[in-house]
Amino acid sequence: MIRIDGLGFCYQGASKQALSDITLDIRDGDFIGVTGPSGAGKTTLAFALSGVIPHHLKGEFSGSVRIGDIDTAKASPEEIARRVGIVCQDAEGQLLASTAEDEMLFGLENFGTPREEIEDRISYALDSAGITDLRHRTISSLSGGQKRKLAFASITALRPEVIVLDEPTADLDPQSSRRVFETLRALSVSRGATVIIAEQKVMLLCEFADRLAVMDGGRIALEGPVREVLRQGDRLEEAGVGMPGVSVLSRRLKEAGLYSGDIPVSLAEGERMMRKAAADAAF
Amino acid sequence: MKDFPDYAAGDSALHSLNPLTKLILTFVLCVACFLTKDHIFMASVILCDVCLAAAAGMFRRSLRVLASLLALAFILFFVQVLSVRQGSVVLSLPAGFYLTDCGVSSSLTSALRMTAALTPLALMLSVTKMSGLPNVLVKLLRVPYRYAFVLTAAIRFMPIFFEETARIMEAQTARGVEHDTGSFLKKARLMLPVCAPAFASSVRRIKAGAVSARLRGAGLRTRECVYKNYPFGAPDAAAFFFCALVTAAAIIV
Repeated sequence: MIRIDGLGFCYQGASKQALSDITLDIRDGDFIGVTGPSGAGKTTLAFALSGVIPHHLKGEFSGSVRIGDIDTAKASPEEIARRVGIVCQDAEGQLLASTAEDEMLFGLENFGTPREEIEDRISYALDSAGITDLRHRTISSLSGGQKRKLAFASITALRPEVIVLDEPTADLDPQSSRRVFETLRALSVSRGATVIIAEQKVMLLCEFADRLAVMDGGRIALEGPVREVLRQGDRLEEAGVGMPGVSVLSRRLKEAGLYSGDIPVSLAEGERMMRKAAADAAF
Repeated sequence: MKDFPDYAAGDSALHSLNPLTKLILTFVLCVACFLTKDHIFMASVILCDVCLAAAAGMFRRSLRVLASLLALAFILFFVQVLSVRQGSVVLSLPAGFYLTDCGVSSSLTSALRMTAALTPLALMLSVTKMSGLPNVLVKLLRVPYRYAFVLTAAIRFMPIFFEETARIMEAQTARGVEHDTGSFLKKARLMLPVCAPAFASSVRRIKAGAVSARLRGAGLRTRECVYKNYPFGAPDAAAFFFCALVTAAAIIV
């Protein structure tokens, strides 16, 4: 269980709070999407969850973030690292080794992963990220998207209890983005990992996440199960977040009296909605 | 300059040396350059590095790196030769400047020394995986990881600085700045404002690397953690023999 209680943070030298009064409970195994416009505080929240704040970035910190029984402000970075893995927005800055394989090994070695498990974990993580063929490549020869996939794989190989991801699909093509989400969903379902993902691609978030938190101006403007959040379309727009196309379409159909069902959150649900609307119209 | 920091994968004898051997060899060559004032010795070290690079399949790359280092060496020579006042004047220049025999000799020594001391470092970074150095320090010398990381970061600072400089110059070129100008003075004028942001950016990258390492449990790393083995073999013995020869030569000349 992750409990964020009255979290506030102001970066050193900044005049404005990056986070204000954030209170949020996240259950074990939850898949929660955090979205919001640029500057809303998503990255700062990701940093607070992974202990980067207050251990590595200085500023005024208030409130608390508890991951299980540890308080991130009081626990050592190593204690937090044992539980939380973070994929930063600047994936390139996260990479430390010369080759993809060495990058994967780094974290596994640090946490004392048994030698007989290492090969399986590396193969699985590389395969999940779709970069098995890059295993022996030098990192300097990889593209931005490949580096991002590697950063993602190097964290999933660690199998942390909590995975925090900050815009993990920023440089990725639609197919790779979906693959990242599918891997995260699988980790959440099969291993019970808690996934917290800050992301601008609302469509993917809505399809894969259980819950959605919408941030605006350092605060949580909306939070709840995805469908519940999407029902509050006006408030979403106020916060500067665009609704997925299928959800917008369902609103329009409802306004035109052509659809009366629940708001769709994925393309598949959108397709069902269209079929139903077409059938009702024909009837 | 962009090539300076990169590890270039390969299976040459140089690549297969133990990273600790490569570190010691680099250190010995650097120190040897500071033990002597003999220009021929320093030029020999540079030539030796180019030959080793060629043997590792990196001849062209080593020439590019050497060209970058010689450009820096020229700046060092230029600044120093105009600053030294001791010795007899060999050439008078406008604006009250003059060159002395001592100035030319000491500036040439400094420029050659810098080039000769940095070429082995560039070569080592080209044939050694980034994880190899801290791993051998932790596993073989039992150095705590945090110090091994700091040492590696210090060694890597210069390559990162070159990389960041190249990035900024590329960004400026894209905005119309002509870095490919033939005039040395104009080039120097364009380079100076690049140095400060490149330095800040390099420090930021090193810091981000340190944070990333801690976020992946670097603080827990001990010698038992290191998965790979780093054995010494016959090529390492030959490298140590070469080190002894270089040290002896540096002391004698």
